[in-house]
Amino acid sequence: MTMIELKNVHKSFDDLEVLKGVDLAVEKGEVVIIIGASGSGKSTMLRVINNLEPIQGGEVWVKGIPIHDPKRADEVHQYVGMVFQQFNLFPHLTALANVTLALQKVKKIDAGEARRMGVAALKRVGLEDKAGAYPAELSGGQQQRVAIARALALEPDVMLFDEATSALDPELVGEVTGVMRQLAEEGMTMLVVTHEMGFARDVGDRVVFIDEGQIAEEGPPAILFTSPSNPRTKQFLYRVLHR
Amino acid sequence: MGWQGIIDSSGILFTGFVNTLTLSIATIILGTALGLVVGVLRAARIPALRAPLRIYLEVFRGSPLLVQMLFIYFGAAYLGLRGVETFIAALVALTLYEGALISEIFRAGIEAVPRGQREAARSIGLSRFQIERYVILPQTFTIVLPPLVGQYIGLVKDTALATAIGYFELVREGQAIIDRIGMPIEVFVVIAAIYFVICYPMSLVARRLEKRALHA
Repeated sequence: MTMIELKNVHKSFDDLEVLKGVDLAVEKGEVVIIIGASGSGKSTMLRVINNLEPIQGGEVWVKGIPIHDPKRADEVHQYVGMVFQQFNLFPHLTALANVTLALQKVKKIDAGEARRMGVAALKRVGLEDKAGAYPAELSGGQQQRVAIARALALEPDVMLFDEATSALDPELVGEVTGVMRQLAEEGMTMLVVTHEMGFARDVGDRVVFIDEGQIAEEGPPAILFTSPSNPRTKQFLYRVLHR
Repeated sequence: MGWQGIIDSSGILFTGFVNTLTLSIATIILGTALGLVVGVLRAARIPALRAPLRIYLEVFRGSPLLVQMLFIYFGAAYLGLRGVETFIAALVALTLYEGALISEIFRAGIEAVPRGQREAARSIGLSRFQIERYVILPQTFTIVLPPLVGQYIGLVKDTALATAIGYFELVREGQAIIDRIGMPIEVFVVIAAIYFVICYPMSLVARRLEKRALHA
């Protein structure tokens, strides 16, 4: 079953065209890694899928719903969870309240049940003992795990990760990628924009290389990382793997 | 006669104090409500509302409160709304004027909340109203508190202009006392002190709230 489908997607910021006709299909249970230089359009692609950016051309389908149709665009949030580079936790709410906010206000689940579900979501990321902590009292890695729990609590069909570990100190990256690995093993459909090539190689079913707003090459990590066919891919991989 | 005259007039001063306080509190409540609505709507950049809200803001921010007050008081009489109380006229003028200034405080506060907060809130499916109510405004509150209290303190002093349309607030009562016993310096010192007694606790409360907000 196709969870996400992009057809000839065009996206511009004023005069700057960031996505120049992107086609992509993601099947249920697939983990797709998106790599590319900064400014290549990879984050924009995730944001387009999650209806955070309007597009100027093409189609975006999520679970058969036309997200490019403004009337139906907001339905995407019922099926897709997103994790951001800057965590974007709500600083005035505890970890648990961050997780239960949408359960109560969007899904209209009563406080007791929402609390139970929130604690369960925090448990999945190993932070049930931090339920009462405010974001400022948590490390970056813990904040990002709460952000993952906030998305997971809503039981999404797809999770988008937009450079989820880029803002973390190196020693904290592992705890977040650990949670992401576990999710992948549980069969979650995932689109992951990342610079963690080790994670990409281990967890990805498919790697997509974006260059200047287009998909330049895609394939299984074993092939794409060892013998890329596109010279731009080769160049990019050489740069990131030999830092 | 000395200070005894002022002490004998304390009943009149107290009436002025109560009237100033009443007008101030009523304006704070209504002006904040108006400012909040206008600030949120302006920050939301709703195309149809853009021009009218901008015009409201610029007109009331860009003209003297005294002129607005006179305009509303005598304008109401001109329109045949006879018997509009001075209190109502003063309250309407103050609310419109302070509401315009307060709306800018709220708008700036809302726009100071990082964009990612709104995006995260949309991603978990909150509606536009819910995003403002549960995510943006609670964070805005701590940002706007200091300038808002500053505005309230200015507002208390702005109520003195209501003396021009004959509302019996502190300054007008003070002048009534001076008309009777003279001693303008002493009377105005006492009046200034009463304003200070109203305003200074507001500064203290603001400081305490600010501290508490930082700890949360």
